[in-house]
Amino acid sequence: MAALREGEFAALQSLLKAPSRDAVRQLCQECFSSPPAGLGPLAQRACPGLAAGPEEAEQLVSALHNLTRHVVYHGLTRAEDILCLFPENFHQNLKNLLTKIILENISAWRNEAQASQISLPRLVDMDWRVDIKTSSDSISRMAVPTCLLQLKIQEDVALCGNSPVVSAVTVELSKETLDTMLEGLGRIRDQLSAVANK
Amino acid sequence: LPSQQFSALTEVLFRFLTEPKEVERFLTQLSDFATMNKISLGPLKNIVKSILLVPNGALKRNLSSEQVRADFIALGLSEEKASYFAEQWKVNSPTLTRLAVGQTLMINQLIDMEWKFGVTAGSSELEKVGSIFLQLKLVIKKGSQMENVYIELTLPQFYSFLHEMERVKTSLESFS
Repeated sequence: MAALREGEFAALQSLLKAPSRDAVRQLCQECFSSPPAGLGPLAQRACPGLAAGPEEAEQLVSALHNLTRHVVYHGLTRAEDILCLFPENFHQNLKNLLTKIILENISAWRNEAQASQISLPRLVDMDWRVDIKTSSDSISRMAVPTCLLQLKIQEDVALCGNSPVVSAVTVELSKETLDTMLEGLGRIRDQLSAVANK
Repeated sequence: LPSQQFSALTEVLFRFLTEPKEVERFLTQLSDFATMNKISLGPLKNIVKSILLVPNGALKRNLSSEQVRADFIALGLSEEKASYFAEQWKVNSPTLTRLAVGQTLMINQLIDMEWKFGVTAGSSELEKVGSIFLQLKLVIKKGSQMENVYIELTLPQFYSFLHEMERVKTSLESFS
């Protein structure tokens, strides 16, 4: 299936006006990382560097975004696969440059896509401490150890954008609860190794 | 009260103390006792209330059975009955202590943990993913309400969490 529409490859040719290879590289990275909504402002920033009008810049930025995302989505890792995305009459050097840049960045981009996919709130940190309860209103002398566990949780990355919301949940665990929890976690570990060994 | 009935009453009392939730059963047994021994229920209840104060106070102050016996004698009970009660106290005190400790304040107590793990097959950004995710649901008691907390962990995070929890267990064990 086609990565881009006809006109989009034509738009890519605007890159020929870019001042340097590094500028092209930079633009590729920004286009991949930007969400569709951020492409407009990105295009405007790119205008002066490319000596292109706003409309031309927008088409270029959108085409680059679609191309890079297509490659990452389909997990293309070989140069030949990327090269054959381009049409016959595409500028040779530009085609090679773009392929090279994409190949350099592909695994970083893949990780980025995985890190920003939707998920339940994620654990970012955990701390614990063990206290000994020595007395209370129901019994004046005792020596009961208990554990306080603090989990720092970050809300869905996609929702927060650049200002992640991190909340902390502090939980108290008695020894029995901890033992039960460890039993459960041990079962998870066993199942995980069973899956990994298949 | 003749000693046989006293021991029956003590038995009823201690059964209630060790299972404080069985209020109805306790009340039924009390009224059965009252009818069997031809005592009216009202005064019996009052006596029982005052008797119950002794073990509760004893728990709070960590009294030994000797001290409990002395307390009862001071309250006017015969030596024989006081000794009997103190004996019962010694037998039951581990259970009672455990119950009292269980009632001690706990902040945000973890009640339950559910989990599932699976493989992310694909996403809108990546056609084929194949990465493992682990999801935990923690049920926490906040005051009188339950709160559910959902967390997702990556595999390395899981292993490090497991490792930390094992360290906590070692620490707790060295203190008990």
